Amino acid sequence: MRRRAWSLTARALPLVLPFALVAGGGAWAADADAVARGGYLFQAAGCLGCHTNEKAGGAPLTGGRALVTPFGTFHTPNITPDPVNGIGRWSDADFIRAFREGVRPDGAALFPAFPYASYTRMTDRDLLDLKAYLFAEKPQAVANKPHDLSPPFSWRFLVPGWQWMYMTPGPVADDPGKPAAWNRGRYLVDALGHCGECHTPRSLLGGLDQSRYLAGTPDGPDGDKVPNITAHLAKGLGKWSDGDLGMLLELGLKPDGDVAGGAMGEVVRNSTSKLTAEDRAAIIAYLKTVPPKE
Amino acid sequence: MNNRVVNALAAASLSALLVAAFGGMAGAADPADMVKERQQTMKKLGGGMGAVAKFVKNEGGTLEDAAKGAEAVLAVAKMDAKAVFVPGTAVGVGESAAKPELWQSWSVAEERWKAVQPAAVKLGEAIKGGDRAQIAQALGATSKTCGTCHEDFRVKKQ
Repeated sequence: MRRRAWSLTARALPLVLPFALVAGGGAWAADADAVARGGYLFQAAGCLGCHTNEKAGGAPLTGGRALVTPFGTFHTPNITPDPVNGIGRWSDADFIRAFREGVRPDGAALFPAFPYASYTRMTDRDLLDLKAYLFAEKPQAVANKPHDLSPPFSWRFLVPGWQWMYMTPGPVADDPGKPAAWNRGRYLVDALGHCGECHTPRSLLGGLDQSRYLAGTPDGPDGDKVPNITAHLAKGLGKWSDGDLGMLLELGLKPDGDVAGGAMGEVVRNSTSKLTAEDRAAIIAYLKTVPPKE
Repeated sequence: MNNRVVNALAAASLSALLVAAFGGMAGAADPADMVKERQQTMKKLGGGMGAVAKFVKNEGGTLEDAAKGAEAVLAVAKMDAKAVFVPGTAVGVGESAAKPELWQSWSVAEERWKAVQPAAVKLGEAIKGGDRAQIAQALGATSKTCGTCHEDFRVKKQ
């Protein structure tokens, strides 16, 4: 897997280098390797979908997509390196703190529509690589739209309480008793892919109900039903072969020949289809061990 | 027979003809039946895709079945979008999973439907070639054409 990732980096290098040089300035701009690694993480973490208002023809990463939730409508922010509208003034420490603790550079809490309860598990190195990638992108002066939330969900001062209840900050150490692919799979599923944000049901306050980890929910994004992806034989993925799962993650194609649509169609298009075959295999190796839940 | 009876008979046979003609065009007159028919059509399409996938996955599928699968995909792709997505068969009718947006953005939907056909032709050609990697690639391209529509115009089912 490592070797494959490096060869990918090497191939992407000529593409990335000019951008890095144009961006100029910081030490990060010169590190094309970090930008290339960050580009891969950017796909694995599925940043593009939420931070682009694709349907309205918005430029990539300029935000503005409306995320309709039971708590109100969130408008995703501009994450280009624009210093005024984007994250151009964020330091490395600011960036890490946002993902790890759900806190903005000004100290206010970020709403958990930004899935930092999952991203908190990302390693520092991955976070800085991701930042390097984002900062090598073109700054876009597109203003952010305010969220449309009703009290008490609009009260930011309550968010730290939510974080205390539903978030365990920091990466989870690899399980030495499990194969490397399993540990990589867990990292891809829980930290980067943030699969549980849709596939795990939520409590009334919007925290993930970890006792039903990946067991699916009837109240997913846009009111869609989200399937159970535990190893449960009848309700989950228990009967899916590795080939079935691989085909879903790579092509969006299910065993019955149906093609995933909705939110998962987008996840396949922007994220899982772009992973290396090794990473998809790691996701599968991990998912097959998720305790079955009805 | 008096005139009134003749007129009534003529009107009745004319309406029977009209129903037969238009009913035949749409496949079925009742919207709920049309939805069922669409589901059968989609099942045929999915069955074809599944047969190719089974070969690509190397899980016991034969090249011959894959070829039949691609033929089924192509046969459905050749159907007129208007005959498959008859107006008045959006979600709420029977077990329809088609969002009303499909008809509101008809030109987009129709264009996407039409994109399946060339992909299915290439899929058939790849199968004739017999190379698994190329078939996988063509299968991916075909499923992408399905996915674009499902993403925007289908209500999630479970």
